[in-house]
Amino acid sequence: MSDLKIEGYEFKPGFKGMAKDTSSDQTMFKGVHWGKAMMWIFLLSDTFIFSCFLISYMKGRGSTIIDWPNPSEVFGLHVFGVQVPLLLIAIMTFVLITSSGTMALAVKYGYEKNRKMCGWLILATAIGGLTFVGMQAFEWSKLIHEGVRPWENPFGAPQFGSFFFMITGFHGTHVSIGVIFLFIYAYKTFAGHYDEGKRGWFTTMKGDYVEVEILGLYWHFVDLVWVFIFAFFYLW
Amino acid sequence: MHVGIIFFLVILGSVLFHIFTPWYWTDVASNWGGMDDTITLTFWIGGGVFIAVCLFMIYCVFKFSYKKDRIAEYKPEDKKLEKILTWATTLGVAALLAPGLIIWNQYVNVPKNAIEIDVMAWQWGWQYRLPGEDGKLGTTKVVNINDDNPFGINLDDPFGNDDVMIQSDVINLENNRPVKILLRSVDVLHNWYVPQFRAKMDAVPGIVTFYWFEPNKTGEFEVLCAEYCGVGHYAMRGGVEVQDKQDYDNWLQEQETFSDLIAKQKILENEKTKLAKK
Amino acid sequence: MSEDFNNNKTIQAQSSEAISGGGSGVGVDADYVRPAEVADQDLYHGHSFITKWIFCQDAKVIGVQYFLLATFTGIIGLILSWLMRLQLGFPGLAPFMTAEHYYQFVTMHGMIMVVYFLTALFLGGFGNYLIPLMVGARDMVFPYLNMVSFWSFFVAVGVLLASFFVPGGPTGSGWTLYPPQAILEGTPGSGWGIMLMCISLILFVAGFTMGGLNYLITILQARTRGMTLMRMPLTVWGIFTATVLAMLAFPALLVGALMMSLDNVLGTSFFMPTILKAGEVLEYGGGSPILFQHLFWFFGHPEVYIVALPAFGIVSDLISVHARKNIFGYRMMVWAIVGIGALSFFVWAHHMYVSGMNPWFGFFFATTTLIIAVPTAMKVYNWILTLWRGNIRLNTVMLWCLGFIVTFVNGGITGIFLGNVSVDVPLSDTYFVIAHFHMVMGIAPLMVIMGAVYHWFPLVSGRFLSEKLGKWHFWLTFLGAYSIYFPMHYLGFIGVPRRYFEMYDSPYVTSAVGMNEFISIAAFIVGAAQFILIYNIIKTLKTGKPAGHNPWQACSLEWLTPTVPPEHGNWGDRLPTVHRWAYDYSVPGAKEDFITQTTPPSEVAGSKVEKT
Repeated sequence: MSDLKIEGYEFKPGFKGMAKDTSSDQTMFKGVHWGKAMMWIFLLSDTFIFSCFLISYMKGRGSTIIDWPNPSEVFGLHVFGVQVPLLLIAIMTFVLITSSGTMALAVKYGYEKNRKMCGWLILATAIGGLTFVGMQAFEWSKLIHEGVRPWENPFGAPQFGSFFFMITGFHGTHVSIGVIFLFIYAYKTFAGHYDEGKRGWFTTMKGDYVEVEILGLYWHFVDLVWVFIFAFFYLW
Repeated sequence: MHVGIIFFLVILGSVLFHIFTPWYWTDVASNWGGMDDTITLTFWIGGGVFIAVCLFMIYCVFKFSYKKDRIAEYKPEDKKLEKILTWATTLGVAALLAPGLIIWNQYVNVPKNAIEIDVMAWQWGWQYRLPGEDGKLGTTKVVNINDDNPFGINLDDPFGNDDVMIQSDVINLENNRPVKILLRSVDVLHNWYVPQFRAKMDAVPGIVTFYWFEPNKTGEFEVLCAEYCGVGHYAMRGGVEVQDKQDYDNWLQEQETFSDLIAKQKILENEKTKLAKK
Repeated sequence: MSEDFNNNKTIQAQSSEAISGGGSGVGVDADYVRPAEVADQDLYHGHSFITKWIFCQDAKVIGVQYFLLATFTGIIGLILSWLMRLQLGFPGLAPFMTAEHYYQFVTMHGMIMVVYFLTALFLGGFGNYLIPLMVGARDMVFPYLNMVSFWSFFVAVGVLLASFFVPGGPTGSGWTLYPPQAILEGTPGSGWGIMLMCISLILFVAGFTMGGLNYLITILQARTRGMTLMRMPLTVWGIFTATVLAMLAFPALLVGALMMSLDNVLGTSFFMPTILKAGEVLEYGGGSPILFQHLFWFFGHPEVYIVALPAFGIVSDLISVHARKNIFGYRMMVWAIVGIGALSFFVWAHHMYVSGMNPWFGFFFATTTLIIAVPTAMKVYNWILTLWRGNIRLNTVMLWCLGFIVTFVNGGITGIFLGNVSVDVPLSDTYFVIAHFHMVMGIAPLMVIMGAVYHWFPLVSGRFLSEKLGKWHFWLTFLGAYSIYFPMHYLGFIGVPRRYFEMYDSPYVTSAVGMNEFISIAAFIVGAAQFILIYNIIKTLKTGKPAGHNPWQACSLEWLTPTVPPEHGNWGDRLPTVHRWAYDYSVPGAKEDFITQTTPPSEVAGSKVEKT
């Protein structure tokens, strides 16, 4: 906190000082952009959504009558005649985590006002996200081809299909929305909207590179959620 | 002035209504008189607080209503008073909670000698099953249910054969003997509720829920469904008849067991095939 | 478009004023307020009728829009309650009241009143109007998002009302929407009705999230200079905490509604066990109906406080203003609001004591539930202690506050019955429950809403509402509502179950026929009395007494705008600077019996004001 400087305001040390700082006038989080604070609170709310999904999944998996299918078989992939468990999912996870890395770099270059690098990195992130969604579509179609449906499942409990399609679908929707915004932001970066402070077409807010960081927060969150989904669906 | 008077009349009216009300609970007919006692306790403590708060408010309205030359007191906080009130309230709340928890502890611990009754609910009706001489109910499955097997008893379960089946919405209970109600439902949520017994619990499809009570008054009582279960909810009634041991045993003798039912059906089928052969 | 913005305001323009002032006794230092951290907000000013009044980005207009739409849905809810009472009091009188219709009306009445009326009115209506004014902001921080929030709510209401016109009608599964019956035949509206209900709820949650983010960030990050957290009016605290609850509780509803929609449309079995219906086993199996109940009540209980906490906050302010006395124990009040909010996430299963969940949960949830009674009781004590030694103006606003105290204490105490697990067993699912929650989260918050309307109408419109009509409105509503719900508890004692279309001739129910008739007549009168308010508003909008500036002599910021009613941007050229809390009434030694929040210490040097 000490590196933060607010004109006319002195940060106070210790726990009591922190309480004083947060309850002081004007802002609770000193120097935090409105949009960034908004995104954090939105993500907290979204965390509750995914928690509800995953807790329901645990409860549902725990109380089915029919056995849960073995994930390493269901999600396995035949490559050159060898059954490799979790191959696709490993690649998907790798791609998504990498895109998180490129996003972080994009934020860095954004704050350095390096328009070109920032734009290219956002574009790379978007393509990473798109690849992820594409592979997820492939996995979905493979499972559907094998007869898994939201209401039935040839490998075991029908709830497997229900929860799998619902939760990965909900997460995939998050990724897709993120990808759309990444493309828009890449365009806006290249066009220089953040350098000029051009007003957004929709929200009439002035453009600023902080928006890249806000989108970055969302993107990292979506990745983090994927880690949990990965652990709960594929490793359990 | 009239404001305070009307509010006072409201409080007075509430007290008078409570004293003279013709509408109050039915006589308890089970061992759960303790629930009535905790209600009474909560009623007097809570009612006391309600009246005290309202009378204080009315007093303030009389005493401190607007006068041009009066100046209100300026005192942002009174730590001591707040502390006293907090602890007094905490104490009062604890005094109400303790008996509640004690009785709940009795409610969830079923006595060992309780007779188990399978209460099966559907849209919109009840039927009952008692364990036979072996004292154990046979296991069931919803998919087994058909005309020949109205309770869905698993045919390979030996405990099921002597189960007593009561295909009526009235069940008889023995006076002064604890019963454990095992609730199950084949479609939606229901709740087997006899106001005089005080106790209730939802029947949930997919699982078996339970509660227990010990009837201690003979007579007939009405069973109501207490969990909304569709358009027929209000009409989903049943009955209980609590009898002394002798009458109860007589009644039990007349009931059909599962093996009786199967035997009867076999005879029917044989006759049918005979007829068909002819 | 850029000419629609006024970009000329800068940080420096504001901070230069800070060092000025300088009265006699107290030095300049005491009046110092540090400069602004954040540049002044640039606002989009609408010019056409559409951008000014329909797709408007001004929080005040959005607040009024929320208020009007919520009131409109509320009137529909009111009419439904009349129809229900018609059936219960005088069965058979209206031939169109079939059991199907009765249950559909029960469901829609409950859902409309809780979500689309009370929640939208308190947070969307009062929240939008009052938050920016009370914390000294120019507008909500994301005006565009705020506008979208209202229109999502608008569509949600549209979808909800559309369900009256689809095949099968609206859902009749009770406002709790419990599966399996919500999506099985045997419940009215099990196809289209429940589907539209789920869609409408999801839209509502989405719209509310947009609004909620606005309220939170405005309160956290956009207060004016000098407005510390502990100087905010309790109204803001109440709405703030309620919004936090909503942001964390609505996700559970969203997930529940989504999963039930999938069960309904795709035939998944999240909540559906093996079910035998009309002799046939349905293609469901393995799901858990109780899971939905947990999701629902994880939303449902905080929802009670989403309605109650803004009411607590608002009523504190109203009592303080009209008793001419500071709210007693302000800090205790703030911590009580926050504490109640936090605890409300650990009590949800007290709605499920007899639901068939593991009975051992009962001990935990009974304890947490009764713990909530302590901060709640503290709030009640502080309200009546605020009246004590005050200088109480017995106007219409104060009457509503007194009515609130009576109904809230009454309903709060019956809550102790229902929260205490074994006491709940005989009373749950009876009319006692209905009487309890109508008293505590129906009538009590409604009293606050009415009080707030009479209190802030002069700010919104610039004119007073008629006191005479207001008193008629109050006494009819208060006495009528009290005589509906007080006797109703005794129906619960008898053991009359709730959600019964008719009672037949059960011996312990027939005795209550007279009471049911009485309650129904009272309900008709109370419902009709609400139209007095509508008449009052329409009449006084044109002919009412002009209110002028700060008509109630209040301290808080919303009354201190340069123009009444406040215009877009709220504060003219300069944002206000706050020097004290919102409750400096009747300070000894001060010239008047109130010191506004913007009064610098040097101006009231002679008074014995405490530092806040």
